[in-house]
Amino acid sequence: MNILAQLVISGVVVGMIYGVIAFGYQLTFATSKTLNFGQGEALMLGALVGLTTINFLIGQSLGAFTAYLLMLPVVLAFGLLQGAVVEFLGVRQAIRTKSEAGWIMATIALGIIFKNLAENIWGRDALRFPSPLPEAALTIGPIRIQPMEIAIVLGAIALMIAVEVFNRRSIYGKAVVATANDRDAAGLMGINTRLVITFSYALSSMAAAFAGVLVAPITLTGATMGAVLGLKAFAVAIIGGLSSGVGVVVGGLILGISENLTGYYISTGYKDVPGLVLLLLVLTFKPSGLFGSAAIKKV
Amino acid sequence: MLTIENLVAGYGKVQVLHGISLEVPQGRLVTLIGSNGAGKTTTLRALSGMIEPQSGSIRLDGKDIAGLPAYEITRRGMAHSPEGRRVFPTLPVTDNLLLGAFTRFTGMRPRGDTSADLDRMFELFPRLKERRNQLAGTLSGGEQQMLAMARALMLNPEVLLLDEPSMGLAPKLVEEVFATVARLKERRITMLLVEQFAAAALEVADYGYVMENGRISIHGPADQLSNDSAVRDAYLGVAH
Repeated sequence: MNILAQLVISGVVVGMIYGVIAFGYQLTFATSKTLNFGQGEALMLGALVGLTTINFLIGQSLGAFTAYLLMLPVVLAFGLLQGAVVEFLGVRQAIRTKSEAGWIMATIALGIIFKNLAENIWGRDALRFPSPLPEAALTIGPIRIQPMEIAIVLGAIALMIAVEVFNRRSIYGKAVVATANDRDAAGLMGINTRLVITFSYALSSMAAAFAGVLVAPITLTGATMGAVLGLKAFAVAIIGGLSSGVGVVVGGLILGISENLTGYYISTGYKDVPGLVLLLLVLTFKPSGLFGSAAIKKV
Repeated sequence: MLTIENLVAGYGKVQVLHGISLEVPQGRLVTLIGSNGAGKTTTLRALSGMIEPQSGSIRLDGKDIAGLPAYEITRRGMAHSPEGRRVFPTLPVTDNLLLGAFTRFTGMRPRGDTSADLDRMFELFPRLKERRNQLAGTLSGGEQQMLAMARALMLNPEVLLLDEPSMGLAPKLVEEVFATVARLKERRITMLLVEQFAAAALEVADYGYVMENGRISIHGPADQLSNDSAVRDAYLGVAH
C-alpha cells in the first residue's frame, strides 16, 4: 500500500511536467492549428539557460533559493523570445502559404538545430542543477517526497492558472481566445492575429522553459533532456485533447502514474508501453482526446 | 466617406470582382443587391481586408486602404458584420461586445467609455442584455445576428458593412433586423448593406447598386430602383 502511494505521488510529479509541456502545445494549436515539435528543445534550452544563470548568481554568493527565484524571470523571458523566434523562422511562412506540413518539418528542424547549439555551448555531458530547496525527502504519512517535487506540482498549477486568468480577464487574453475561435473575425475586431500567433508561440515556449527549470533540480540537465519529455507531452496532449485545459492535466497524470506503476510492478523495460497503448486507443476511439471537443480537422 | 474605384478581387486565381466602382456618402445607407454568387460578399470582404484586392482603389475618408490587413482597416474605422455572423462562440456576449471595441484599448484600459457603449448596445438590443453572460455559441440565430451587429457598432465606426443580416432568420426576425437597420440610419450611421431581400433593402436604403457576375449593372436612388422594371423582374420577385 505504501509503495503504491509512493509510486502514484512520483507519477503525479512527472505527470505535471508532461502537463505543462502539453499545455504549451495547446496554446499554439488553439490560435494557429500548428504545434512546435521542438517543444522538448525549448524545455532543454530553458533549463540550460537557467543553469548558467543560477550558477552565475550563486557565484555572486547568493543562496541557491534566492538565485533560483532571480533566475526565473530570466528563463521566462528567454522562453518567450525563443518561442517568438521559432514562430518567425519556422511557422509564419507555412501559415502564410497555407502549407499543410511545412511547419512540422520546420519546427523539427529548428529543434535539432537548438539541440546541436546546446551541445556545442554546454557540452554533451549531463550537468547537475543546483536545487533551490533542501534535497532531503519529507515524510508525509506513508509517503516520502522531496520539497522540489512539491514545488513542481505547485509551480505547474500556478503557471496554467496564470495563463487561464490572463485569457479570461484581460482584453488581450480575450483577443487570444477570439483568434482561437475565428481568426478572420478576430481580424475584423482590429486584432493583429499574426501577432497573436507569435505571442502564443512565445507563451508556449515560456511554459516549456519553465517546465525545464522545474524539473532540472530533480533530474540532470543536458542537451538531450528535452526530446523524450517533448514526445511524451505530445502523447499527453493527444490523450487529453488538444483543446482541453483539464485534459492535459489529467492526461499528464495518467501517463506519469501508469509509467511508474508499470515500471515497478512489471518491468522498467515496459514502462512506456501503457501510455502509448492508451494513446493508440484514444486515437482509435476518441481521436479528439478524452476531454477534447472535435479538434481534429475533417478531411 | 467610402469611395471604391475599379475594384478587382477574387480567391486565388479565380477572379470574382471585375472592376467595381461605388460610393457610400457620409451618413447614408447604401445597399448592394444581386443574385447569389454575384460577388456581394466578396466586395465586402475586399473592403474590410479579409481578402486582398488585386487592383483598384478603396478610399476611406480620402485615404487609400486597399491592400491593408483587416486589423489595420478596422483601426481606421471600418466595421464589418460578416456573412454568417461569426460571433466568438466560446466567449460570453459581453466579451464579444468588448472585443468590438478592441482598437480603443491601450494598455489594460479602454480609451473612452466602453461601459456607456455597452449600455447603448443593450438599449438598442434588449435581448442581448438578458443574455449578457451567456456564451455566444448558445444564442439563437437571431440573437447572434444582433450580437454581430452590436459588436461591429462597438467600434463607433466611420462606415459599417452589413453582410446579409437577415440570412437564415425567421420572417419575424427579418423584420426586426430591418427595423434595427432603419434605426441606425436615423442615427446617421454610414452603412453599406448587402442583402438577398432586395425589396426590403431598397425600401430602407437611400441608394442602391445592383450586382451581376462581378460587375455593377444598374445603380440609382433606392426608390427609383424599386420602380425600375428590369430590377423588379430580376430581383424583386414582383409579377406583372
